[in-house]
Amino acid sequence: MNHMTRRLLLSSPFLAAAMLALPRHGRAEMDLARATGFIQAAGNELVAAINDPRLDLPRRRDRVAAVLRRTIDIEGTGRFILGRYVRQATPAELAEYNRLFDDIIVRNLSARFGEYRGVRFSLGRSQQRTEEDALVNTIIERPNTPAFSLDWRVSEIGGQPKVVDVIAEGTSLRLTTRSEYAAVIQRNGGRVAPLLDAMRNQIAQLAARETRG
Amino acid sequence: MLPPIITKSRSWACALAVLAVGACATPPPADDPEAVAEFRETNDPFEPANRAMFEVHEVADRFVLQPVAEAYRDVLPQPVRNGIRNALGNLRAPVILANDLLQGNISRARITLGRFMVNSTLGIGGILDVARDWGVPGHSEDFGQTLAVWGAGEGFYMFVPLFGPSSPRDLVGQGVDIALHPLTWLGQGAAVDAAGWVRLGLVVVDTREALLEPIDQVRATSLDPYSTLRSAYRQRRAFEIENREVYGTTVAPSGVIGYGQGVTQPAGPNPEPTPPPPR
Repeated sequence: MNHMTRRLLLSSPFLAAAMLALPRHGRAEMDLARATGFIQAAGNELVAAINDPRLDLPRRRDRVAAVLRRTIDIEGTGRFILGRYVRQATPAELAEYNRLFDDIIVRNLSARFGEYRGVRFSLGRSQQRTEEDALVNTIIERPNTPAFSLDWRVSEIGGQPKVVDVIAEGTSLRLTTRSEYAAVIQRNGGRVAPLLDAMRNQIAQLAARETRG
Repeated sequence: MLPPIITKSRSWACALAVLAVGACATPPPADDPEAVAEFRETNDPFEPANRAMFEVHEVADRFVLQPVAEAYRDVLPQPVRNGIRNALGNLRAPVILANDLLQGNISRARITLGRFMVNSTLGIGGILDVARDWGVPGHSEDFGQTLAVWGAGEGFYMFVPLFGPSSPRDLVGQGVDIALHPLTWLGQGAAVDAAGWVRLGLVVVDTREALLEPIDQVRATSLDPYSTLRSAYRQRRAFEIENREVYGTTVAPSGVIGYGQGVTQPAGPNPEPTPPPPR
């Protein structure tokens, strides 16, 4: 909280009361400079791994996967995506879901980024979005490909900044995935098990493509 | 609660869809409020019919649209494709201008008008985006967005083969955009007709080419491409309606409708913004 707000709070008992009445979440407020620095460091690490000429494709993927696991709040994001079906799943299903989701997101993203040879990344304009998290804008440039911009939603999870969403021109990956997973569950009689089957199936396909690529 | 007329016309439309393809989505039981909320949010009462249309579209896409778009990318070098995209976007400027004005956005209307004048002349009929190099990037608008600004909701989800995701609002918007376009009313004869078809063909190919990677990505990674597209389309439209400027990119300059799922201007981020040229 900055000085301005604090002074405002002190001078306005109504506002102070309103602030106290607001439900406070476990997460702390995300500092924008910290979020930006975090994305910059993670991005540089990713770019270095992707462009390292000494690494072959599988080792590059492994390196990228390691950075992603450190950077993304995979468990929280997985829960967000499963949404109301978290309560419907048995503990065993939930544990299996977490394991599969971790595998899928890391394979998907490292397969995608692993191919970005010669990638350059720079920070665009940043903006604070809500009280709890920050949106950090980046511009991704690759040779012979149009540049595009990605927004990273950064939240404070357990005292550490973590990525909780990636947004490409207004389209949020976690929202899109949420409606995708919900559709799979609904089309299979509202059960979570068929979703897990579909996820396993997809991992097998991704793995097959990795060995080919 | 919906007004009875809407409910009635919706069930009537649903009956039509049943006749056409087979079935409507069954609403969840009323005693499951979360499921009901989800059903409303998804707002896809004709989902079975839409999914059938989506399958038809996928076949047509795999056998015709996608190969043509890939050939287009292979045959023409990027500068040529950029020129085509720029020229198509420039031809759409009158529609964008009309919608800027209908939304009461004078500053964006001035940008569209200024860009049209500069690019049509110095940019050799719009092939070069000179205005962008001067620090005045373009934007897209369509009548569907104008309707949204006027307060119209998007309505239920529709998937139209060869056309993609849509909604009643956006479909009406597209009809109005065609009516708003001077080229629709300009001239007659075989040459004009041919030029019109060439333009339409280029718009389709250019749009599909811009979507090659996003669609490949969806097909490769989605457990249910239909619902992924539905969600992406909605988010994308909300983003376009919001008119939030994304530094370095421009939303769908050339698409007939700007409905794109990631259709962006080619070329890199903008140079440092420079003051607009004196008008």
